[in-house]
Amino acid sequence: MEIDGRTFEVDGDGFLANPGLWDHDIAELFARYDGIGPMNDKHWAVLEVIRRNWEEKGMAPMIRTVCQETGLRLRDIYELFPLGPARGACRVAGLPKPDGCV
Amino acid sequence: MIYLDNSATSFPKPEEVYLFMDHFYRSKGVNPGRSGFDAAIATEEMVASTRKMLTQLFNGTNSNRLTFSYNATDSLNLILNGLLEKDDHVVTTMLEHNSVLRPLYHLALNKTIEVTYVPFDQRGYVHPDDINKAIRKKTKLVVMNHSSNVIGTIQPVAEIGKICREKNVLLVLDASQSAGISPIDIQAMCIDVLIFTGHKCLMGPTGIGGSYVADHVTIRQTRFGGTGVRSAQKTHLEEYPYRLESGTPNILGIAGLNAGIRWINNQGINVLHAREMKLWNKLRMGLQQIEGVTTYCAEDPEDKNAVLSFTISGFNNPVDIGTMLDVDHNIACRIGYQCAPYVHELIGTGKTNGTIRFSIGPFNTEDHIDKAIEAVADIASLKN
Repeated sequence: MEIDGRTFEVDGDGFLANPGLWDHDIAELFARYDGIGPMNDKHWAVLEVIRRNWEEKGMAPMIRTVCQETGLRLRDIYELFPLGPARGACRVAGLPKPDGCV
Repeated sequence: MIYLDNSATSFPKPEEVYLFMDHFYRSKGVNPGRSGFDAAIATEEMVASTRKMLTQLFNGTNSNRLTFSYNATDSLNLILNGLLEKDDHVVTTMLEHNSVLRPLYHLALNKTIEVTYVPFDQRGYVHPDDINKAIRKKTKLVVMNHSSNVIGTIQPVAEIGKICREKNVLLVLDASQSAGISPIDIQAMCIDVLIFTGHKCLMGPTGIGGSYVADHVTIRQTRFGGTGVRSAQKTHLEEYPYRLESGTPNILGIAGLNAGIRWINNQGINVLHAREMKLWNKLRMGLQQIEGVTTYCAEDPEDKNAVLSFTISGFNNPVDIGTMLDVDHNIACRIGYQCAPYVHELIGTGKTNGTIRFSIGPFNTEDHIDKAIEAVADIASLKN
């Protein structure tokens, strides 16, 4: 997948193939590509919880965890990431497509 | 938690159910029919009284023909596999749950039987005339549900039963969603085999269900084992209830069912149904006023149980809505196809991942319904 001249290897669902390559620049690019943003503190708070859980446990967090740790309602997260926490936020956070958690 | 998933299983159960299960299992939870000591006899009596109460509830004539199983799916497998033979034709409907569809599908896949699927109309009802037209010379039985688990419509079983009787075709009725909340009269409705589950409107626990088989119907045995009776005999007993029961029964489940039926009888089926439908009507009117919400087969409360399916425009997948109801509003409900894929084909939600389903139980309140309507309005406002 190519965004703004940069090429990314993604899986069949458009999720970053190697989550280790992720950084804030990539998040900005993916967000813009998905029509999300401009990114604000709330976007970054959601991404931080998702990334931290991924780095500590190797998996996406439960949706309740994202809401509890950010203080956001799930509805707010859908406003920030219209495709939702899994297909929207996790993609921007550079995770593989989650099965059941977020 | 606001629990609106009573079609999956009723929750909570009446306090009397929890208390009786605990008391009975602690004091007399022994194997019935195997020994002559007092607790064994008391347990056997409790099992027999539960058969009688259910037989009475369904207006059957012979409580030995009321047999227990794990659940409705288990009984449907026992009955369909015990009735159908090579080259039989079966009539069913597009309202069915996978508990009917899948056993039939597997029998058809093996080229044992042929199946005709009768559609329902825009209001969610199967027309008796369509059943009549689908019956052929080789039709052995009609199998259908009494009440849909997706849209709650109660089918005209008495008319269909009459047609089946006239044409010498058996009627197997899946009453999973109706037993305990809608009146069922095996004799007046010409039902040949009635299937029930214990953990929904009958207010029992999970793991208990069963069937009532009319005297003139013979079910081929497909399970064999201990009955506690005539143990020296090599073959399984042919008489009911042993014919369809083998091994130690689920005493705890039957005890819970016993208490559940007594609770229902004390409340009155009609009272319970009227109360739930009052809430259903409030829910229906509330949801229908929300921009972007579409309800399915919910024009009026006539001939229905308290089940309501809906979608919200702008959402590609009801999973998102169900998750928001859960996480933001603490409302438990069912989303998706509800194990009834053909229903969604006909109501137009087959390609959009199904619906959100609210199903009301005896312990729901007006406040629960108000909060559910508010929650749906909140979610719908995201996209509408």
